[in-house]
Amino acid sequence: MYRTVLASLALSALAALPAQAAEGKRIEIKGELIDTWCYFSGVMGGPESVVGTAHHTCAMWCAAGGIPVGLLGEDGEVYMVLKLPKDDESNGGETFLTLTNDTIEAEGMHYKRDGINYLVVSEVISNEGIPNKTHEDFGVIPGNTIPKSIVKEVLEEG
Amino acid sequence: MRALAIIMALAATIPAQAESPLPFDIGGPFNLVDQFGKKRTEASLVGSPSLLFFGYAECQAICTVALPRMAETIDLLDAKGVEVRPVLVTVDPVRDTPKSLRKAAPRIHSRLLALTGDETALAAARKAYGVESEQIGEDIEGPLYAHGSFIYLLDAEGEFLTLLPPVLGSERMAEIATKYLIKN
Repeated sequence: MYRTVLASLALSALAALPAQAAEGKRIEIKGELIDTWCYFSGVMGGPESVVGTAHHTCAMWCAAGGIPVGLLGEDGEVYMVLKLPKDDESNGGETFLTLTNDTIEAEGMHYKRDGINYLVVSEVISNEGIPNKTHEDFGVIPGNTIPKSIVKEVLEEG
Repeated sequence: MRALAIIMALAATIPAQAESPLPFDIGGPFNLVDQFGKKRTEASLVGSPSLLFFGYAECQAICTVALPRMAETIDLLDAKGVEVRPVLVTVDPVRDTPKSLRKAAPRIHSRLLALTGDETALAAARKAYGVESEQIGEDIEGPLYAHGSFIYLLDAEGEFLTLLPPVLGSERMAEIATKYLIKN
């Protein structure tokens, strides 16, 4: 439910990508969609702790707040995602927030500029959900992103 | 330590041949007003390079990162003798009136050109620069917006040069901007 509500708020990093000849490279890439602020800044700890389930709630809030989403590829590179497809017919209408921390296989155009990788995703080929169960090692990062209602529920049960 | 290594890698200088043009057409006409009530159009971006960002003064999310970094970048460029105009286009026409921006702008940067307008005019500006914005809720202070967060580097003709992701440090932003502006 939470993700569904937030999904409607998700915005592409750039809205308009008019058809225009460009020297990008079509690639297929697999990786996790991450919160680039917490990943690069180190404010929440090392990069291992700000990916996967441990950081999922924070990553969704960061995406909602405008932090660019990146795709952490299996090659270890981060690709700043400029656009994800929204077309329901082509990819199920997935958006940044519904995909945050999911491991996806995507096809799209790769651009490298100023030492930064940019990715315009044309199709999400597959989605493994969030197989990266980092909460088992790190808990929830940061801890205050656990909804109070959940904390109360656990305490009452416990 | 690994985080630092990754940041260093992201910040590494890349040879010119690694550049590739980005697939969008940024820029176009707009009709807005600045914090002094003066009418501003795309022609107002001619004359000196600009760093352009869409956000809002009361934003408690990405703007709290992007706007200070943009301001720091301007100061770093000043120190290099490269004068660049910081520009904020609001996504919050309700609260970011010329009067309120006149107070808010100096807190961001002394030279900030803060632009606002009615919703139609702001929508046209966002469309020109490929920026999405959407009201996602409201708190006691007013509406909350999600919005695109890349900073645009424009040349002295107001033409798009490159993107600056707000997660970059100001030193790296200044380094990238210098590369383009000295070349241009």
